[in-house]
Amino acid sequence: MQEGKVLPAAQINRDLLRPILETPRWYWPVVSLLGMIVLAAAVVVGIMIDQGLGWATGLNYKVVWGFFITNFVFWIGISHAGVMLSAILRLAKAEWRRPATRAAEVLTIFSLMTAMIMPIIHTGRPWRILYWAFPYDFARGVWPNIRTPLVWDPSAILTYLTSSTLFVIIALVPDFAVLRDRTTGWPKIVYTMLAMGWEGNPRQWKLQIIAGVLLSALILPVFVSVHSIVSWDFGMAVAIKSWHSTVFAPYFVVGAVHSGVSAVVFAMILLRWAYGWQDYIRHEHIDALGRLLIVVATGWFYFLVMEIIFGIYGLEGDELAVRALQFLPGDHGVAYNVWMIIFVGITYFLPVILWLPRAWRRNLWIMSTACISVNIGMWLERYLLFVPGQANKQFQTFTWNDYLPQWPEALIVGATFAFVSMLMLLFSRAFPLVPLYDIKEGDILKTEMQIGRRTVPATFRED
Amino acid sequence: MPNAEFMHKWGMVVDLDKCTGCQACVIACQAENNIPINTKDYFLQKRAYEWIRIERYWEGEYPNTKARFMPILCQHCENAPCEPVCPVYATYHNEEGLNVQVYNRCVGTRYCINNCPYQVRMFNFWHPNWPARLENQLNPDVTVRTRGITEKCTFCVQRLRRGEIEVEARGGQRLTDERITGGNYDPACVQACPTNALMFGDLVDDNAAIKPYFDDVNANPGHGEHDRVTRGYRLLEEMNTRPSVIYLKKVDQYPLASGGGH
Amino acid sequence: MAGEAHPQTGHETHEHGHFGPEMWVIPERSGLVAEVTEKSQAGSGLLRVVFITGGVLTVLGIVGFVLKLATAGFSDHRAWGFYVAAFAFVFTLTASAPLAACAFRFTKSHWRRPLSRIAEIFSLVSLVNILLFIPALIALPDIGVMTDSGEAMVRRSIWFQELNNPAGWLMAAMVGLAFCSLAILWLSAMPDMAQSRGLVSGFKASFYQRLAGGWYGTKRQWQIQKAGLAILGAFYFMLVVFVQFLIVSDFAMAMIPGWKDSILPPFYTVISFQSGLALILVAAYALRRWGGYREYIGQAPFWSASKVLLGLTLLHTYHLFAFFITYWYGRLEVEQAILNYLMFDAYIGIFWAQLFFTFFIPFPILVSNHARRQGWGAPLAAVFILVGLMLWHVRIFAAAFAAAPADLHGLYFLPSEAFALPALLLPAPAATFPDLWDIFMLLGGVGIVLLMFRVGTMLLPPLSMWEVKEGSMYQRVDTLIRGRYLVLAKPE
Repeated sequence: MQEGKVLPAAQINRDLLRPILETPRWYWPVVSLLGMIVLAAAVVVGIMIDQGLGWATGLNYKVVWGFFITNFVFWIGISHAGVMLSAILRLAKAEWRRPATRAAEVLTIFSLMTAMIMPIIHTGRPWRILYWAFPYDFARGVWPNIRTPLVWDPSAILTYLTSSTLFVIIALVPDFAVLRDRTTGWPKIVYTMLAMGWEGNPRQWKLQIIAGVLLSALILPVFVSVHSIVSWDFGMAVAIKSWHSTVFAPYFVVGAVHSGVSAVVFAMILLRWAYGWQDYIRHEHIDALGRLLIVVATGWFYFLVMEIIFGIYGLEGDELAVRALQFLPGDHGVAYNVWMIIFVGITYFLPVILWLPRAWRRNLWIMSTACISVNIGMWLERYLLFVPGQANKQFQTFTWNDYLPQWPEALIVGATFAFVSMLMLLFSRAFPLVPLYDIKEGDILKTEMQIGRRTVPATFRED
Repeated sequence: MPNAEFMHKWGMVVDLDKCTGCQACVIACQAENNIPINTKDYFLQKRAYEWIRIERYWEGEYPNTKARFMPILCQHCENAPCEPVCPVYATYHNEEGLNVQVYNRCVGTRYCINNCPYQVRMFNFWHPNWPARLENQLNPDVTVRTRGITEKCTFCVQRLRRGEIEVEARGGQRLTDERITGGNYDPACVQACPTNALMFGDLVDDNAAIKPYFDDVNANPGHGEHDRVTRGYRLLEEMNTRPSVIYLKKVDQYPLASGGGH
Repeated sequence: MAGEAHPQTGHETHEHGHFGPEMWVIPERSGLVAEVTEKSQAGSGLLRVVFITGGVLTVLGIVGFVLKLATAGFSDHRAWGFYVAAFAFVFTLTASAPLAACAFRFTKSHWRRPLSRIAEIFSLVSLVNILLFIPALIALPDIGVMTDSGEAMVRRSIWFQELNNPAGWLMAAMVGLAFCSLAILWLSAMPDMAQSRGLVSGFKASFYQRLAGGWYGTKRQWQIQKAGLAILGAFYFMLVVFVQFLIVSDFAMAMIPGWKDSILPPFYTVISFQSGLALILVAAYALRRWGGYREYIGQAPFWSASKVLLGLTLLHTYHLFAFFITYWYGRLEVEQAILNYLMFDAYIGIFWAQLFFTFFIPFPILVSNHARRQGWGAPLAAVFILVGLMLWHVRIFAAAFAAAPADLHGLYFLPSEAFALPALLLPAPAATFPDLWDIFMLLGGVGIVLLMFRVGTMLLPPLSMWEVKEGSMYQRVDTLIRGRYLVLAKPE
């Protein structure tokens, strides 16, 4: 499957370190623009904390979790790309993972950080949030209530954040050393400290590889548990009919991988275009990721169907009311059924059709379209899963209500995308977003084999 | 503080047959518990809130219709779904069977609101304020809640506490039905109800007026509904929340010709 | 390969000592086709044992079935819980076994090659599954059709009261599944049959001639065969998942009043993959250890498949936990009743036994590198898993059939009627213990799988010869820097 040529190590270093050693011309304008969006959102968040959720959101006495929680789950979902691509594919010895790993892991960290902002600013009194998350009793004699999914959440997310940060740092150490040797002045001091005396001797490599494999295996349970627990925020709620479904945990995990891997593919296409990394992020990689995505998307679709079928299966009046709100045209203000059709179309059918032909998988424009459409769809998925259930809670039709998001919510949600992009760009200014050593290792393992009259690419098996 | 000598288990019975939908309970609750005034704006934002609300349902097709009223307040469930989901223990069950909301602890995650099948938990979207003169009528026994927290019916715990202090701590007598009613220690809604559709009492007290209804419903749960001798039932019984409020069915002397539900 | 110089590397490899790159090498033998064909003509002691055991158990099963029919009849579905459990177990095992071949062919895993045919041979059981399915369909109580008054006997089902009796559709799904899996077997075995058609005689010769007469191994034929296998494999995969969804929701979930559990079909699918892989591993190990296929089935399949089995075992437990925690936390009356029924009250013993067999025992075996390298680790774990999954089927299907008497399925008025369950569930069904005929039928289920495996190996050698030959072309052991490693070719 290898298509690219084996490049000399010096050229790999030169190409992949270019964004760090020489800043591209577009870099600072783009970062400033993103920074301004983030700043605007930060101001709005400030006003919101001062004025209250009443000012900023369209939430009402019925629908109390809206855009912010949707966005929280969305970013948690994106964060699942990192482990999927580096840990699982590393354990599965998939060669094509190599250029994608770092970007995916970094995206994991930044999206987790972004995700954690959302539930904090969505609370009524965010300044008291420390009571909630930290197992420290503040002399009140009251500890966090470990029975609630809202306490399982921060525990799982912080564990995930810690372990994936470790994962990134371990993978970065050899690259820190390369940077240490190629910089001067204060950056050199920083990189020297970060490289922790890396010389690239066999013992260090052995330790680095063992640490990587060990973390890959240990991070997997965390990976599964994070989104399962996030799904249980909803799955445990008996009062909202469409939420209390046993399938939520695997459904959310697969959906997270679906949106996360799509996001990584799009990020890689952007990187390839922005930094001219055609030799590193090649069509074969995008192609392989596309094939993986077909499988993931179909698995996700299966869980979606299960969730819907067994929602209706009960034939319970109050659940049917929620489903009717989701699927049937009605006299309500928001046409959830239209959104539902759009969501299933752009999350499953459109992208999978675009991924099926090999030529389309290798067309970066088509690939970008499919991946963006998946992510818009997955955002909608969460919204359509959370809001209709709250709008039609139980049989008490007297209190049925709807939700219309307001501009501050939309701005804050939009700014989270700018925030993650900005962090990714800032990261790429300081550290290589495509792992140098991983690419070089892949090149070393590359070889050829003569079968009959054909010469076929081959690889040395890892381990 | 609850007196260790006298344990209580508070409960309420709502007789739908007697309810006229006059909303006196709503107003009494509003005044007693320092609930901010629901302005037109709040209604339009769908953020107006009441601790006890009268749900009005139309039965039948116009012009052959009947209005049905249903007062809904916090059910003080023994197995409350809102309690385990609060990360900061802002809501918990106390010794007297009350579902207690601690405003100071609440950070406003609103999970309890989502997990309440009766939708009686209300989020304070705005800072409460009253026209200047009305501030003088605020009940000094009840906290004015700040913006950003969840609040709900307390069974007028301030009145119960006052009763416990005045009757039990001083006189050494148990707070019984007569003493509750005589001393105005009933919740405000019960006190205000002109038709006595709301009844309040102590389930530990064998002579309490509400006791037979609870005994009957407890003796014939769920499937045994048809064996009940009273009209009692609990809201959303299949949710297994075991509310401390029992509703008595409406007995319709002149049913609609066509039948039909809400 | 103990004590024998490897033809490609010249290294001497040992069963239990050396785990170098040679462990991974798929053996290349020039006389592979002749040897394997001859071996499969001759049979072996192992296969004789399989045949006799399978035959005896099958006869027992038939006896059990006949006597059950004579004593209980089809009037009360509660008598047939264990029969349905036995059927579901056989179905789960064998429907997903061919999937293992398809799935790992799809992922281009080299280690699958020696296992492929073993997996596909279980396609033959799908014919038996159709037969076994008939009594299960007869025993399945009607759904009931809603009348206007709503008083008809109705149970919830995925057919939503549109069909009184979905037997026709279920049967069609089952037949389609059998057809598809046999097509996979035929397509996959075609090159092998063509190769050995000159080496066999009698019935087999004409059989091979008929099924693979037109195969000459042209480039175009290979392309069609590979594309056909890929498409059929993907189609079969989806079909299996769908039929499993139908079976587990109609024969288990819909039978317990009030049970609404959206994770059950995915859970059942995971269980099915787990059991299919376990079955293949046990069969492959037996063939390698006692059946004379040591030279052809290396160690690598066990090492690699054990990781997949570990993953599936963890997934099984994860799905179980996701179901449990949602019901536990929900605390609805009906959920508590179902948790009690399936896990704590009546079936508590079988629940814990199943948990031990499917998780607590195999997990330590499968995480141990030592046990997995030895070759016996994964098959040992697989045996435990198979026993545990049989218990799982008893716990779910037998319990479901015993949950409510035939006349108490009037559940349309949910949830108010579902709430009626505790009164209905708790006193009525204590654990239903199998009678002797039930045990016979369970054993018969095991027997029929063994018997059909023996029949399959009579028709076809249990080794995918073309895949093994292809695999041995795509590999070599080479030196990189100072070490020697396996090199794998990756043709598109």
